[in-house]
Formats: sequence, C-alpha cells, structure tokens
Amino acid sequence: MRIDSTHRPWFWATLTALAGLTGSYILYRAMSGGQPNGGSVPGLLYGIAGYALMLYAALLGLRRKVPVWRVGRAQTWMRGHLWLGFLTLPLILFHCGFLWKGPLASLLMILLFATVGSGIFGAALQHFIPALMTRAVPLETIYEEIPHIRRQLCDEADKLAGSIAAMEAEDALQIEMEPDLRSRFIAIYSKSIRPMLAPDKEMKRENKLETLEYVFDSLRKMLPDEVHPMLADLESICEEERQLRVQKRVYLWLHGWLLVHVPLSLALIVLGAVHAVMALRY
Amino acid sequence: MTPTETVSLTIDGQAVTVDRGTTVFDAARMAGIAIPVLCHQQNERPVGVCRVCCVDTGERTLTAACTRPAENGMKVVTDSDRVRSARHTLVELLMADHPSPCARQRQSHDCELEELAEAENIAEIRYPKRKSPRGKDDSSFVIHVDHDACILCDRCVRGCNEIRHNEVLGRMGKGYTAGIAFDLNLPMGNSSCVSCGECMVSCPTGALTNKGIVHTVLPGDAVDTELLLRLPYFQEISGTFLNLNRNAVVVRNFKAGDVICREGEYGSTAFYIMKGKAAVHINTPMAHVSKKGGATGFFSKLTSYLTADSDSAETERESRSIPIDGPTDLPIDKPLAMLETGDLFGEMTCMSLYPRSATIVAAEDSVMIEMLRNVLDIMLRNKTLRSRLDSNYRKRALEDHLRSVPLFSSLSGEFIERLRDHVELLRFSRDEVICRQGEPVDRFYLVRIGFVKITESHPGGDLVLAYLGKGDYFGEIGLLQGGVRTATVTALDHVELVSINADDFDAMLELFPDIRRGLAAVSDSRLRQNRHPRAGAASVPLSDFLDQGLMEANSLLLLDLEKCTRCDACVRACADAHDGVTRLIREGLRYQNYLVPTSCRQCRDPLCMVGCPVGSIRRRETLEVVIEDWCIGCGLCAENCPYGNISMHPFPSLQPDIMEGGSSPKAVVQYKATSCDLCMEHAEPNCVYACPHDAAHRVDPNEFFRLSALR
Repeated sequence: MRIDSTHRPWFWATLTALAGLTGSYILYRAMSGGQPNGGSVPGLLYGIAGYALMLYAALLGLRRKVPVWRVGRAQTWMRGHLWLGFLTLPLILFHCGFLWKGPLASLLMILLFATVGSGIFGAALQHFIPALMTRAVPLETIYEEIPHIRRQLCDEADKLAGSIAAMEAEDALQIEMEPDLRSRFIAIYSKSIRPMLAPDKEMKRENKLETLEYVFDSLRKMLPDEVHPMLADLESICEEERQLRVQKRVYLWLHGWLLVHVPLSLALIVLGAVHAVMALRY
Repeated sequence: MTPTETVSLTIDGQAVTVDRGTTVFDAARMAGIAIPVLCHQQNERPVGVCRVCCVDTGERTLTAACTRPAENGMKVVTDSDRVRSARHTLVELLMADHPSPCARQRQSHDCELEELAEAENIAEIRYPKRKSPRGKDDSSFVIHVDHDACILCDRCVRGCNEIRHNEVLGRMGKGYTAGIAFDLNLPMGNSSCVSCGECMVSCPTGALTNKGIVHTVLPGDAVDTELLLRLPYFQEISGTFLNLNRNAVVVRNFKAGDVICREGEYGSTAFYIMKGKAAVHINTPMAHVSKKGGATGFFSKLTSYLTADSDSAETERESRSIPIDGPTDLPIDKPLAMLETGDLFGEMTCMSLYPRSATIVAAEDSVMIEMLRNVLDIMLRNKTLRSRLDSNYRKRALEDHLRSVPLFSSLSGEFIERLRDHVELLRFSRDEVICRQGEPVDRFYLVRIGFVKITESHPGGDLVLAYLGKGDYFGEIGLLQGGVRTATVTALDHVELVSINADDFDAMLELFPDIRRGLAAVSDSRLRQNRHPRAGAASVPLSDFLDQGLMEANSLLLLDLEKCTRCDACVRACADAHDGVTRLIREGLRYQNYLVPTSCRQCRDPLCMVGCPVGSIRRRETLEVVIEDWCIGCGLCAENCPYGNISMHPFPSLQPDIMEGGSSPKAVVQYKATSCDLCMEHAEPNCVYACPHDAAHRVDPNEFFRLSALR
C-alpha cells in the first residue's frame, strides 16, 4: 500500500498512541522501582493489548478471504493492519520491560522483530514497486498469463525469423538477398536473439534482462531495407518478452515477502497463545 | 348503335384497315409489322417520349408511331433508310448513357434497350458517356433502383399511377439531371411505395430490378403464385413480381408441439399464422443478476446477511414485462403468451436480422406462411394486412405495451380505451428521420419495434445522446417544456412507433398527475444528462482521452497503477459477488497512471443496447446499464460493445418444458451475457470496496480527470 498523505490521520493517531503508551510505561516503570514485570497488572494489560493487535492484524488475511462481506472497507483494514500492527512492537516491549528470558520468550521476541521487520520491508516494497513496475513495464499483463504469452511470443518470433531467413512470409515480399546474408541472420538469431526468448531455466545468465538494441542495429545495417519492418516486429517481440520478465521478477518481489511475513505472523500468534497459557498457568 | 368508323392506310406497302383512333403503332402490330419501341407497352397510355418507334408518314419529319393516330390514305414506312438511321441514332444516344450490361441484362438478358442495340448492330458508341452518375437507391428490400440505367421512358410512372393508382412515382429534375422520384424524391424504402412491383415489371431496362433472394433456401412448400394472389394480403401485388419472389415465401405445417423457432437463434424470416395457435415463451428460469434470497446453510446465510442491502433493481423490475419480437409482451413472472390466427411474428429478425427473441411452439396443428424480408416488406406495405395488424395491436397489445412502461402503469382502462382509437401507428425505415431538432412538437412517441437514435446537432457535428428501444419513449421534453424538439430522432433499423398526439398527451397529463410528475422528472434528468457530455468534451480535450472512448463513459473503473499491488482482490471480489463469474478483467488500456480494466463503463452512448431482441439490456431510471435475468444469451450486446466489456458465460440451469406445464425440467447449460452492474445493491461496488490499497475507483472520468488536471 502506498503510504501517502491520506495516511496522515493514521500516522498522527499511531504517534499519539505511541507517545501515550511510552508515557504510561515510563510512569509504570518508575512506580515499579525500575523492575517492570509482565505478570503485573500493567504488564498484563500491555501484553493483552499487544496480542489483541496481533490478532487484529492477522484478521486482515481472513478479511481478504471474504471480500464481499460488508464489514468495513478493505483499505481501512489494511491501514489498521499497518499502523496498529506496528504498535504491537512497543506494546510487547513494554509488556516484557525490554527483557526476555527463557527460550520461548526469546523465540517470541525474535519472531516479533522478524514479523514487524518483514512487514515494514513489505510495506516499503508495496510503496515503491507499483510505480516502478508501471514505468518499467508498459506492456504489463496478468501475472498468470505470462507463461502463455511468452510461449506465443516465442512462436511468433520463430515464425518471423523463418520468414526473414526464407523470404517466403509475404507473397509480395520477394526480396533479393544473398544466401550468405541469410545464413548470417540465422546465426545471429540463434545465438543472440532466440536465447532471449528461451524459458527461464534454459536462459543463460548473461542474456537476462538484456536489451538487444545493438543486435538489431547491426541487423538493420546488414539486411536490406525491405526486411526492416519485420525486424521491427521481431524487436518489439523481444522488448515485450524482456518486459514480461521484468514484470515476473518485480511481481515476485512485490508478493514474495509474504512467504516470510505470513508464516512468521502465524507462528507468533500460536506461540504467543502458548506463552500466555504457560505464563498464566505456571 | 353507331357502326364503328374505320380508316384505311398502307404500312410498308401493306393495306390495313383499323378503327378510327387506332395508333399507327397498333395498326402495324395488327398487320403483323413490329415497330421497335421502348416507352410504350400495351397496357399503358402512349406518351411517345423515347421516339424509337419513329416512322415515316411522308411528312416533313418522322413521327412517333405510338402516339400518331392512323388516318385515311396514310402511307407509313417503318423500315426506310431514313427511319433506320434515325432509330439507330436514338438507340445509340440512349446507349451512351446506359451502363451496359445493366443489372437486368446481367440477370435475365432481357434489357429491352440492349436487345434493341444488338438488333441495330450498335457495338461502338460514338457519343461521350455520362460523366456524373445519377446514383443508385438500395433502400427498398425488394427493388433495386439504378438511376443510371433509367431511360426516362416513364413506363414505371404510368404503371404506378395509372395502373395501380398508388401515386408514388413521378419525375424530378430537369435536363441532364432528370430522373424518376418516389414521393418528394425520398429513397424508395422510405417512401409510401407499397412494393406492388408494377414499376419493376414495367421497366424496360435494369433501372428497377428485383433484388431476389440471396443464398437462402426456406424449408417447406414453395407457394404457388396463384395461391398467393388468392390470399387477401397479396391481391394488390403484381403477379409477375410475386412470381419473381416465389422462393422467398413458403407455407409450413406444424403439428402441436413442434418448435417453430428458438430464442437466441439467428434467423431471417418472419411467420404469419394462417391457421392455428402458437405458444411463445422464453427459457429464463435462472436468475444471473439477482442472487439473494436463496441462501442455504449457515455460511451462505451469514454471507447473504453481510452482503445484503436493498436491491432497488428488483423493485424497479417488478412492473416491467419482457418485450419480444411479436404482437405481445411476456409477463416477467411467467414469460408465456399465445399467438393466434392472423398474428405476425419475427418481424425484427426478418427485417433487421436480430436474433430470435423467444421460443415459439405450435400449440395446436397450425399452418403458417414463412417469408423472407422482401416478401414481408411487400406484405407490410399492403394496406389490408397493415390495417389488420394494426387493429390486432390496438385490441390486444396496446394496453400491455403502455402498462409495461412503469411510468404509464397507472393509466386507467377508460383512458386506454380512448387512446386505442386515437393513437397512430407509424413505420420508419432504417436511417429515416422521425423528427428533427427545432421542429415544433405535435406528438409523443412510444417505441413499439426497433431502435432509434437521439442526436443533438452542434456546429462540429452531431452528438449522440441516447439509443432507445422497445418500451422507451421520446418527445416529452418538447411537449412539456418548450414546444420544439430538442433533438433529432432517427430510425436505426425497421422501427414502428405508437404516436400520441399533443391533445391526448395533454389530456393524459391532466387526468394523471403522477404521470406528469414522472415525465417531468425523466425530462429533467434527460436534459441534465444531455448537458453533461458537452461539458466533458469542453473540459478535457485530450486526444488519448477521446481515442480511448473515456469521454463516453458515465462511470469508469480505474486502477491507480502506482498504488495497485496487482493482488487481484478486486477481481476476486467481483467473482465472489457474481456466483464465481468475474465481470472485471484486470487488463486494458492505460491512461496516465491509470489502468482502465475491462469492466462496463456505463456509456452515455450505450451501443450494447441496440438490437437486444428481448430488451434485457437496458438503462435503469438511474441511468445504469443492466442486463436483466431474462437475457436469452444471443450475444448481440457482447458483439456491439466497442470495449469488449460484456462477456458470455455458461450457467447451468433447469429448463421447464412449457408445453408440459413446467413439469419434467431438463438440465441445460444456458449462456447469458454478463457485465458490471456496479453492484447496485451496495453504495460502493465490491471491486472498489475490496481493494486494500485504495487503488480502485469508480469515477465519472470527465469530472475525475478535470479535477486531477487542476490538481
């Protein structure tokens, strides 16, 4: 989500809440003689509030499963997830008094930091990447369609290259071209252009995300003018293929962080519940 | 009794005695001497305009045999060098302007002028050809007019006026621009021509030719011309003409239960019930628009509760009926009606090639005439049939038609009785102007068949304001507000209108204040809408904006690509809200940093509505375009949408067998058109509501981009 001026109310509300919580914690710490305890009433309240906000933040995932339910606009839920989710960190720190002992508490703190950190990282990605993708990939398509479109582009490029090499594509296009030129074109196509269109697994590292401007420039110099429109088509195919690969890569960044954030969040909530039961019982 | 006075003369040396008053042409014919002629035929008054029948009577000049009365002692020579030379020159001059071979010569090799030219051995024309063509007229369904092939012999004019007494054809223009004209020089299809075919049968060249039947073979028994001529509706037609069209009309016998046509199928014929009855219905047992009320199970009920708001579409729909291509409408709750002897159905399919609007099944053993467009056109121009169909409509369908329009549902039976005799039923051909902007208003129109286009004239060209179909009305703005038409209305296809004159209209408003209020509200709303596109055009003069048709949109879904994380929450929400079928595809053209996805734009100029055979795609009173549940899945709206925003989706359904009283329903897959309905039951569409990133917006593009430009 783009963090823009529309987030201002949330920002100020969170900042105010943070200031209030910090003030209360300073007071509580002073009153407890510098020995705050998670088991004390204020400590428990911090813990409960922090855990409640964790649960609220986790509910966003469920909310998205039922998009048509009229239980608040999704963007309000998302803003709450971002800003209130962020408040869990100070609340839990106030709950434990910035001290955590034992493996479970340590693990929980690691998970909390990792969850909040991955969330901030994800928020940053979602803030910058959409605009970047919009500029870098004008020919963007639906992500799931990318493999299909790439296959089509590949077939289309082979057909065009075959036409240039054989000069049989159009009835009207009977161009005089020396056999040597044709074989040179085939060699360049096979070596420099076709690998660009290969599936990711077969692609060599040096071909990745590379533009072929110089290759097509040299081809234009080498081949007769009549072929240039077909070369332009071929070049635009390569450009589209390049953009689709950029889209795929950027898309993975845009959504890949969730593979870390979501399991961490779930683990945090489960272990948080275990911690609460253990702490209250024992 | 006075004995008939005779005259004696010699023709080519042959003594001939004929009654006084007989023309030289007829005298020669009686003597077995053929004089070539083009402008004259036996059943018409001679006029002597072509002069091809010139003969030498010994006078200073040659004379036209067809008009020159025979005289005692007259010596006529029909084949001298002088006569042959004059005839040769005349034919050569006529051929100089004649597109050889003309349509008739190509079709049947019997163009009289070209035959004559061949007989005169005219191969090379010494005179220059006509440089500016006089044009063709293809507006009639049955007769093609090629003014270039016309030799101005006036045989058609005399056939129309003197033989058939239709008084449609005449002459127009002078000198080189002279030609034949229908009424006051209207296209033939738009004129008062009754398609009797007499002009075409009279024409010696390819100027008036039968269009014939193109690539269509009708099942059933071809009707003999004699039988057709015995039917009251064909009695005023030329037998030759009917003979030429005999393959375009068949008699079909249906047994009770036989399906005559099915909804959604494309066809090109209309049916006239000669004997028997037919049940007409549409198979729309399944609602694909309104979904609520059937939720079962806890989760479904919870979902239903959480997603439910008032469905205002439902209440608006209750008072409507389903318009079909027949003399009656179908009630929404039970879409079934009966057609009887003397009814005509399939008119829109036949005339405008729209899909069939309903399934029609023979309710008892029936005999029907199935006909193609050329024969239907002939029939519809027949005054006897026309008056019978109109009378049927007034008796049986006018009340249903008026009541199907929510605004008029409160009309009393008494007032409808009054209207029954007062309304006028009018027909218009494609592209015919029904009324023009600025004209004084004298009547109110209700669309009975077909579609009309409402345009407003501006210095830069015409602006389309709306398309109206069956059940819609126009003319109220002028009658209520100013006395002049505020827009031009043109027929988009074969259109039939119910016209209510200003006096009856005023009486209606006086008697029914609710209708006055409703019409005033509609009138205000239309005027407001009409002002809107002009404002948009003035404020956003961007070529991309216009190229992408964004100016036409009333409500546009935009995805801000700088905020959108491509999570597809909008698409999923749309699918969840519509039984798993999304009406939104997150792909489309870009405008600035916005994506305009594939989703209905609620166009101001909704081309999709034109042609819907059952009127299921319509504009609500709040101006949103919706597809109603009775969509028959013909796909015409999807084809018409210029932005590809309407999709056809298969839906499983159980179809009751109407003929068996709805028992033993069959499981079928039925296609229906789907497009964004703006989730009208909610304040905000689901796609926008479900977007977690504030990227999806439903906006008025003119307003939105004007504001964003100001920012």
